[in-house]
Amino acid sequence: MTYQSTQFPVLKLTGITRSFGPVKALNNVSLSIQKGEVLGLIGENGAGKSTLLKILAGIEQPDSGTIEMNGAMTRFISPYDALRAGVGVVHQEQSLFTNLTVAENIAQQMVEKHGRARFGVQDWTHINQQAARVLQKIGVDLDPKAIVGDLSFVDRQMVEIARAVCVDPKQGGTPLIILDEPTAVLEQAETEVLEREIRKLREFSSVIFVSHRLDEVLRICDRVVVLRNGVLTSDRSTKGASKDDLFQAMVEDAPVKTTRVRRPKKSGEQPILSVKNMGKTGRFKNVSFDAYAGKITAIIGTNGSGRGALVRSLFGAEAFDSGTLEISGQSVTSWSISRAIRAGLAYVPAERKTEGMIGGYNGIRNIALSRSDQFKMGPLLNLRKMKQAAQHWFDRLGVSPNDIHKPLAAFSGGNQQKVVLAKWLNLPDLRILILDHPLRGLDVGVSHTVNAEIRRACDTGLSVIMIPDTIEEALELADEILVLRDGQLSARHDLSIGTGLSIQEIMAEMV
Amino acid sequence: MSVAQTITEEQKGTQFGMINHFGRIASWHTIAPPVVFFAMLIIVSIFNPNYLGPLGISIATASAAPILLIALGQSMVLNVGSIDLSNAAISLFGAILLALSVPDFGWVSIIVVLALLTFLGAINGAILAYTQIPSFALTLGTLGILKTATLVISGSETIYVTNNRELITLLYLTKLGGISLTFWLGISVALILWAVLRLTMTGQDMTGIGKNEKGAILTGVPVKRVKIMAFALSGFAGGLAGFCIVAQAGSASASGLGSNLLLPGIAAALVGGTSISGGVTNPINVIFGALTVAFVPIAIQAIGFGAQAQSLVYGFFIILVVALSTIGSKTRIVK
Amino acid sequence: MTLARIRKWNGPTGILLALCALILLFSFINPRFASVENLQNVLFQISVPLIIVVGTTLVIQMGSIDLSVEGVMGAAGMAWILMSANTRTETDFGMWAWVIALGLGLGVGLIAGLIYSKLKVPSFVVSLGTWYVGLGIAVLLYGNSMLPTLTNDSLARWPTQLTLGLPHSFWLAGLVFIAGLIVSNHTHFGRGLMAIGNNEAIAIANGMPVDRYKMMAFSLAGLLAGLAGILATIQLGSGSPDIGSGQLFVVIPAAVIGGTSLSGGEGGVLRSALGVCLLIILNNGLVLSGVDPDYQSGVFGMILLIAVITVAWPHIDRLKVAK
Repeated sequence: MTYQSTQFPVLKLTGITRSFGPVKALNNVSLSIQKGEVLGLIGENGAGKSTLLKILAGIEQPDSGTIEMNGAMTRFISPYDALRAGVGVVHQEQSLFTNLTVAENIAQQMVEKHGRARFGVQDWTHINQQAARVLQKIGVDLDPKAIVGDLSFVDRQMVEIARAVCVDPKQGGTPLIILDEPTAVLEQAETEVLEREIRKLREFSSVIFVSHRLDEVLRICDRVVVLRNGVLTSDRSTKGASKDDLFQAMVEDAPVKTTRVRRPKKSGEQPILSVKNMGKTGRFKNVSFDAYAGKITAIIGTNGSGRGALVRSLFGAEAFDSGTLEISGQSVTSWSISRAIRAGLAYVPAERKTEGMIGGYNGIRNIALSRSDQFKMGPLLNLRKMKQAAQHWFDRLGVSPNDIHKPLAAFSGGNQQKVVLAKWLNLPDLRILILDHPLRGLDVGVSHTVNAEIRRACDTGLSVIMIPDTIEEALELADEILVLRDGQLSARHDLSIGTGLSIQEIMAEMV
Repeated sequence: MSVAQTITEEQKGTQFGMINHFGRIASWHTIAPPVVFFAMLIIVSIFNPNYLGPLGISIATASAAPILLIALGQSMVLNVGSIDLSNAAISLFGAILLALSVPDFGWVSIIVVLALLTFLGAINGAILAYTQIPSFALTLGTLGILKTATLVISGSETIYVTNNRELITLLYLTKLGGISLTFWLGISVALILWAVLRLTMTGQDMTGIGKNEKGAILTGVPVKRVKIMAFALSGFAGGLAGFCIVAQAGSASASGLGSNLLLPGIAAALVGGTSISGGVTNPINVIFGALTVAFVPIAIQAIGFGAQAQSLVYGFFIILVVALSTIGSKTRIVK
Repeated sequence: MTLARIRKWNGPTGILLALCALILLFSFINPRFASVENLQNVLFQISVPLIIVVGTTLVIQMGSIDLSVEGVMGAAGMAWILMSANTRTETDFGMWAWVIALGLGLGVGLIAGLIYSKLKVPSFVVSLGTWYVGLGIAVLLYGNSMLPTLTNDSLARWPTQLTLGLPHSFWLAGLVFIAGLIVSNHTHFGRGLMAIGNNEAIAIANGMPVDRYKMMAFSLAGLLAGLAGILATIQLGSGSPDIGSGQLFVVIPAAVIGGTSLSGGEGGVLRSALGVCLLIILNNGLVLSGVDPDYQSGVFGMILLIAVITVAWPHIDRLKVAK
């Protein structure tokens, strides 16, 4: 794990600060990376990692602070600047054309490098050779002529890395390759492939490795920096570091205060929803748990742990391959969304704009879309009741601006979420509320309102199953916490027994 | 995080920007079709007011009637985000069936034929809902099948309504305010569909699917059923259009009156403010769209161009009206 | 990996198999089908739609659609014949007639591409409009005077004359096909169209000149539709605004059956061309088998449905949006 030191670090950040409104996403962050070094970047969701990456990729600009690449002071006004300076990013979402070949996708970076399109006939030999060279350089054995769509996920990752490696900084400086959560959805064996890859990369570049799998970070990286609430809380070598050291830096381990009173389970109470050995190939398997009326169940896990697929299977939005689902003791057959809703389930998706709401519709229509019979007057809609209901919820949840006729797309994310919630809360026979990242992207005030609403719903006897954004959320709200890791339940915590569960404990079960 | 994702963030951002003008855009979208129509009327009246006399109006509305009905059916399908290339063929098929059966079975056959055509439309919808193939290819296929069916049952001849003629032609010959009942039928259907879209759960579902199908699915909207209904309505409206065709001509043939209504129907729906991606449909405006499309030949003659300029003007109109209504939205990805 | 296997089935091999099966079937039913004369006739019939489908494929690969072919054919065909030696006008611009007529097709396509890419009007609507515009130009040019018939006899016979056993019109179509194949598979432009059809957002993010490519695709489609219109006019021997009538409903199903999906990013010039061959051979075979021509569209419709459903079947999903 040696690295050569040259006069200049590959990357040097000094005092980087970036605010969004009153929120400081990054606060006076400084770090440097030497040539051939692999730096781990860790932090909770919302700690500032993605903002930092966006700045390095040239998508965002810092409010203050400086960036030096290979000794030269630079500014990245656009992604092309970053590329030209030698920063290659492998994003979390794959950005490959699945219908083109490996070589063509790699060559895309070349187009960016030149900054202009090249007309004329494609020189296949040249492109294929170029791709073969790059692939060899990073030690990957792939056919440049293969169609990306036919490749496995980890092979596609390799293509992304090959693409990123094509950056060519001016004056022979060292390129910087940023890997954003590359292992998030990889299987064990595939992760080893990636690790080998990164070791190869350090021969000619430096790497920033972003991950929340701490053992990987400790294994793969030379040094690690920790972000917490926009501040760099740790910058140390991985030699001799333990996961606890990292946990300490990631979260303040103050006990999470909660005003929520957790009632212990009544004896002999039947679960309102019961999952037995449920599995979906490739996503999760052998999951069993019970949800009770008036209780909140939080399902925690990292990206790719299978939580999303699990809750969607509960709602009938996805099909599960094995196991059973019971609602009030009744086993369900051929589950579908309409059956789930009739049985009293509701689902607030994580992707608000594309799945949760209908932006082109106003508050009245969005709330009425959940087909409550109260809105029907024979074959017609009872518009008066719809408006009343909408107004009631707008008032109660404090939707701003309080205009039930305005298209929902015109509202801020938080207010949209309120309306989405209202749509389901409005159903009289609602029994189980499934929330997928309900507080994602909401600012503090709105968060509070939604939070309070969830608690209130619970107190009226609803069962809530939620995927929280942060562990704090879970510790604050949940009666029971389920931890999923790589598709399987790794832990279960009953919070009504009132032990001092720490965030770090839970994190250890996630990664 | 990815650069491509950032692009879509921008898209979402500009959606907010658009909202500042949303009020403006929404209202332009609503008033554009009647504005366009009345502008054309004004131009015609400047050049040659005779064309706006009772006879001119009578002729224009008579030719507009089947176009209107087909456009209304099309607009219901467009509303859920699909397209029906077969509705004009369904209509023609129905016209021939009517011409064949009315002489012998009277008004019973009218009901049966309409029901059959509605069913044909429903089949379109069912195939779409259950196989999830693109509606363009689907209705292109059913269009071909219907073409053959039409030729076969008509024997490639013109079918005259020999008996019970009055039963059918009454619709055309009866005039209210100088305008044939066929057009009033179209207006009634437009009003009913307008009510369905605004005032019923199914209508709300349809528009919801057009605006955001995934969101609608996850809210429990019975998407399959609703799509089948949209296509069934298209079949039904096509049936009514077929009725109007036979009423006007007293006969039906695979190449006669009404055999070329697909494009004018689509044009009328588009000029009537219907969005091609779904979720924006106003049947009342489609009335103006159909009137505009039917009036173009008259306007051209009034201005003094030959009848040959017709297509040219059609083409300009379609592009112009849709371009004007899409100018407000800044969605970056348009197919 | 099943997806890859399915793709191969719908790829050129699948269609080639279907093609061979059809040829065998029809030859069996009516031996005249396999006669040299008939096969030459088939190649003759393939020529015009083959030229069109090359341009249409480029547009479809982007994820757009071009409905204007019939109108552009009419406009360019009429323009060409009025400027060539014909019975109506005295003028004969010779080569220039070709240039101007093709330029007309290119121009209409360019305008469509401009409106589509810059004004963000959906391609369906724009090309519907340019269809009418093209048709309108053709009708205006036709006017009220007499039918313009080709007076140059050798030119009129050129399409059906044979070289190396193949009709000239097929040679022309073949050249266009090869050029289209090269452009589509071996230029940045062609591959760029596939990329745009696959994921336009990524293409934009990569700095691809998407708008320019869009305009180029539509311009080429217009140019080729114009060429097809001229060829069809020569084949017919006289000018008609309706020279393109019916081509749209041959070309689009051909592309779709061939495997060029309407959503873009799939298929290609070769596949679309095979689709055209399939449909024309089917048509020809049906006629020679004594099947009533009325049944033609019905058979086409059924085959289209079966082909599309077969491809879509493995992808059925609860949350899939089917438009």
